[in-house]
Amino acid sequence: MTPVGLKTISRRTVLRGLGTAMALPLLDAMLPSLALAAPAAKKALPKRMAFLFVPNGIHMQDWTPKNEGKDFDLPPTLEPLADVKDEIVVLSGLAHDKARANGDGPGDHARSAATFLTGCQARKTHGADIKVGISVDQIAASKIGHETALPSLELGIDRGANAGNCDSGYSCAYSANISWKSPSTPNAKEVDPRLVFERLFGGGSGDERDQAKKKRNEYRKSILDLVMEDAKRLQAKVGTADQRKLDEYLTSVREIEARIQNAERRPAAPPADPDFKKPGGVPRELTDHVRLMYDLLALAFQGDVTRIATFMCANEGSNKSYPSLEVPEGHHDLSHHGGDKAKQAKIAKINRYYVEQLAYFLKKMRSIEEEGQPLLDRSMVLYGGAIGDGNAHNHDNLPLVLAGSAGGTYATGRHVRWSRETPVANLFLTMLDIMQAPVNSFGDSNGDLAELTR
Amino acid sequence: MTRRRLAFALCLLLIAAALCAQQPAAKNRGEMPEGNQAPGPGMSFARDVVPFIKANCVECHSGEEASAGIHFDKHLGDGSLAKDRKTWARAVRMLRAGLMPPEDGPKVQRATAERLAAWIDREISTVDCTGPRDPGRVTIRRLNRVEYNNTIRDLLGVDFKPADDFPADDVGYGFDNIGDVLSLPPLLMERYLDAAEKIAETAIVADPKPAGQRFEADRLRGGNQQGGWRGLYSSGEVYRSVEVPQGGSFAVRVRAFAEQAGGEIAQMELRVDDKAVATFDVRAVENKPDVYEKTLDLEAGRRKIAVAFINDYYRPDDPNPGNRDRNLYIGSIEVSAPAGAKADLPETHTRLITATPGKDRSTAACATVILREFCRKAYRRPPTNEEIDRLVKLVLMAEKNGETFERGVQLAVQAVLVSPHFLFRVEADPGPKDPGGVRTISEHELATRLSYFLWSTMPDDELRREADAGRLRKNLRAHVERMIKDDKAQAFVENFAGQWLQLRNLDSFNPNRRQFQRFGSILKAAMRRETFLFFGNVLSENRSIFELIDSDYTFLNDALARHYGMDGVTGPEFRRVELPEGSPRGGVITQASVLAVTSNPTRTSPVKRGRFILEQFLGIEPPPPPPQVEQLKEDGPLTGTLRQRMEQHRRNPNCAVCHKQMDPLGFGLENFDAVGAWRDKEGDEPIDASGELPDGRKFNGPSELKQILLGDKADFRRCLAEKMLTYALGRGLEYYDRCAVDDIVRAVEQDGEGMQALVHAIVASDPFQKRRGKLLGEN
Repeated sequence: MTPVGLKTISRRTVLRGLGTAMALPLLDAMLPSLALAAPAAKKALPKRMAFLFVPNGIHMQDWTPKNEGKDFDLPPTLEPLADVKDEIVVLSGLAHDKARANGDGPGDHARSAATFLTGCQARKTHGADIKVGISVDQIAASKIGHETALPSLELGIDRGANAGNCDSGYSCAYSANISWKSPSTPNAKEVDPRLVFERLFGGGSGDERDQAKKKRNEYRKSILDLVMEDAKRLQAKVGTADQRKLDEYLTSVREIEARIQNAERRPAAPPADPDFKKPGGVPRELTDHVRLMYDLLALAFQGDVTRIATFMCANEGSNKSYPSLEVPEGHHDLSHHGGDKAKQAKIAKINRYYVEQLAYFLKKMRSIEEEGQPLLDRSMVLYGGAIGDGNAHNHDNLPLVLAGSAGGTYATGRHVRWSRETPVANLFLTMLDIMQAPVNSFGDSNGDLAELTR
Repeated sequence: MTRRRLAFALCLLLIAAALCAQQPAAKNRGEMPEGNQAPGPGMSFARDVVPFIKANCVECHSGEEASAGIHFDKHLGDGSLAKDRKTWARAVRMLRAGLMPPEDGPKVQRATAERLAAWIDREISTVDCTGPRDPGRVTIRRLNRVEYNNTIRDLLGVDFKPADDFPADDVGYGFDNIGDVLSLPPLLMERYLDAAEKIAETAIVADPKPAGQRFEADRLRGGNQQGGWRGLYSSGEVYRSVEVPQGGSFAVRVRAFAEQAGGEIAQMELRVDDKAVATFDVRAVENKPDVYEKTLDLEAGRRKIAVAFINDYYRPDDPNPGNRDRNLYIGSIEVSAPAGAKADLPETHTRLITATPGKDRSTAACATVILREFCRKAYRRPPTNEEIDRLVKLVLMAEKNGETFERGVQLAVQAVLVSPHFLFRVEADPGPKDPGGVRTISEHELATRLSYFLWSTMPDDELRREADAGRLRKNLRAHVERMIKDDKAQAFVENFAGQWLQLRNLDSFNPNRRQFQRFGSILKAAMRRETFLFFGNVLSENRSIFELIDSDYTFLNDALARHYGMDGVTGPEFRRVELPEGSPRGGVITQASVLAVTSNPTRTSPVKRGRFILEQFLGIEPPPPPPQVEQLKEDGPLTGTLRQRMEQHRRNPNCAVCHKQMDPLGFGLENFDAVGAWRDKEGDEPIDASGELPDGRKFNGPSELKQILLGDKADFRRCLAEKMLTYALGRGLEYYDRCAVDDIVRAVEQDGEGMQALVHAIVASDPFQKRRGKLLGEN
């Protein structure tokens, strides 16, 4: 057994090291893009990667196609994808073992969201020492994020939890976030379309002259230098937990600094679709809200403002009701259906509803062309969650659909079943390879999913 | 299902000691005969606790699939209780609540369980409180959204709630002010930077010299725009609507030229709100335009300033091409600031900019004065010289770039607003290398803790003055009383009670409109208001904390009274209403707000309500159901009222263990529907609101339920104290906080059970007054 002292030292070293580790890619980012781009004379079209999350599991009987391979069927829940059937791969059999209790007791919802993109076991805590792992989108962002104005984009529909316990002794941070910048820093998501628009395409004052903008950026940089100094001095006076918070602070400041430099090289352009008006705020109707977020995501990809995004259709464990679908009950309550057919039918309705919105997004992505190629073909869009059936709370045979082929990297229009317990993390490893952001291992990966590309 | 699997599923539900009976013999082994191994004063861990746990608990609570994540196998190896206080504290609660061992498990006599629990309890608490106490250590806290908005409001007097655009704060331990949970992702940093800019630019005017407004041709209307000019080829006007911030004497200047023809000179009429005020002969020509000026009085408000061409001339057949057409061209209209007037500076500007550089005052000196005062407030402590110097450098840099002094101060204010010293509530450790060192927090740190606890904002002038003078701690009680009286204490009601009672979840509570037609945003707001007013009253009047469980009054308006089926309340304003004898209302549990947030959109949830009472009022956290349970086959279709269906469900012993604790509490509230209205029937079936607690106490209906809750005074007192202490400290409670909680509940009891007594006791407690240098075990 490790002596207590040693254990703490190593943990602390890791934590302290974190700030530096996270900062390195950003140092890259600060280099002028020309220096980076110079040797690569022929510039390949960029690939895009999005992760779309749905909570509370899926009524799998209406989801999983019976047939495998190219000749697969679309069960009722996936039916809305008929139009884009040739552009998707239904993935069956993948598992997130780290979303299981593994000795931590109940809390499958919190773990579902926390593990979804990290492949790591969330530390069970109400708050002290939250920790899971860096998510796949952030690994990619740290490696290729400097190529765009925003390294990544985090979107959602629900704000974080308001009060109360989120799930059985897990902090709400776990169920309200899927993107993790560091193992202890969830990447907060943006839920207001107006604010997303402003981030992507600049604020309302579009007529600010270049000169004034340049000056403003210079001042911003001076301010950030000053406060960075504040934080560094402060670090010497505080304990480990505080240092970790200040590391978070420093990481964020550095990222903003890099972003300002980035923005100077690539001034914000108006949205590619000139008819798209700046949204006024959060729409009343859920469907309008979800679609607006998808519109913005598509515009962000189209304008190459970012190439990496996550989107939570709802927070994990959401108990939202869906009156427009004739589902007045809460989603989470329903998901504990206990085998009740009527409840299962309602779950399937909600599942299908979100797949309809997905179809809307995918068709939109297909309709946008980039140098003669549909944007969807240049992208990888992974849709799903880390709970199989909401009643069983199982974390294997997960509901996952991969859309787009990342520039023809793999064949679409098929249903592939992997052997049981194949980690989702293996898929992430392959996706990171495709994004040219390779890592040796990820989460609980035990290999890659190279078969996908064959 | 195999026996083994049944046993496993059963144990999943159990938190502490449990005997997974595989054969009847095991049951007998688990029973502890009275007077034989009965734990007594002379007990020891090795002789009494270990055999008990080994016999009854380890089988389930060990190994890979340990129930509830509790590994008694590991805990026993330590040879003492001290290393795993949390686990043992849970065991004590479960033993005492009669939840452990389970009904189907070994029959341990209640007295035996109680004695064992008492011994363990004593072991894990007395040890700490006699020696030097650990006050704990709060992680540096970022301001949450509410605190940010309030702090900006009080620091600058700018009340536009910039934090409403910030991403949501994550919640831990039931509250959104927990230092460990409040993270700072890049998105938030970006928002901080934006907000700081907006705030500084709103509060301070970068160029306070009264400046004129000048409108070039492209910002004027009327005529035909040609390059930088607007041409009037026939009678007509060029105009602009101008905002006049304050009335006075203005100079209006018009740059113009004309093309002459037909003998007369082109005439230009100046009009204000369509009334002619002056006429000019425009003699200037295209290559030498002139400026025409008139001084006049303008009233504040939006004014239409126009110049009209009033003597058009056009003879296309004139033989002299230079004499055919008379035209007027307008290049710009300028409205200068009133002569001798000062710019309309916002109050914030004059308050912040207390010195401006002049002949005998340098920029640096003025900036130092301004920023020192600003930072004292923003950093909630006196700033160091070095901190001020670096900010002053920013002002000097701006000056070098040709900016005004005020613009420079703007930038420095921006820097302060994104500095970690502002965004975080820093409690720097003077001796970070001293692992165990405990110190009393400084007066300024105390002022800050108090102010964010009771006001969710920065300390006011008086707190700051007292802290400066080192008098705050001496007069603590008086200060707390003053703070509770202040309107700002409403923040405590909304943020503490709003989260403790989960009222914030009302925002997202959308019951089925078809079933609950009366429910809407007006009623929702009224529900919330009742609870806030009620809790606020208990606080400000220093009423007994037990009024939160039951009271003979509440606060209602007409809408809510109607919802409650009460007559005699008219009008939308809220007022205190004495409840009639035998009313089921009174206390917060039977307020519609709480009843609604513990319901599902289509029905009540006795489980959620029961769990709510256990967790928020009695401090017991029941585990959620293990997923396997619901997959168990039911004996047949469930029928009848919700309660009847739930009781059938509970026949399943796996469910019964916990539900027999939660459900009865919820059943007692079944007369209240999912939006908190009274009902006697569910469908055609009468409501049965009777219940029996695991310890055998029986009740019928909400009033009797509340009487039972009032019988457990110690549990509620402790629970409320723990919740409030968590909120006050911004951290989860640790085992060592038990001593402080013991002190607090004792003080509350001795001080008459008042809500203010609780606040005073928390403020006086060690964890609030002190901090440990560093986490023990850290280097």
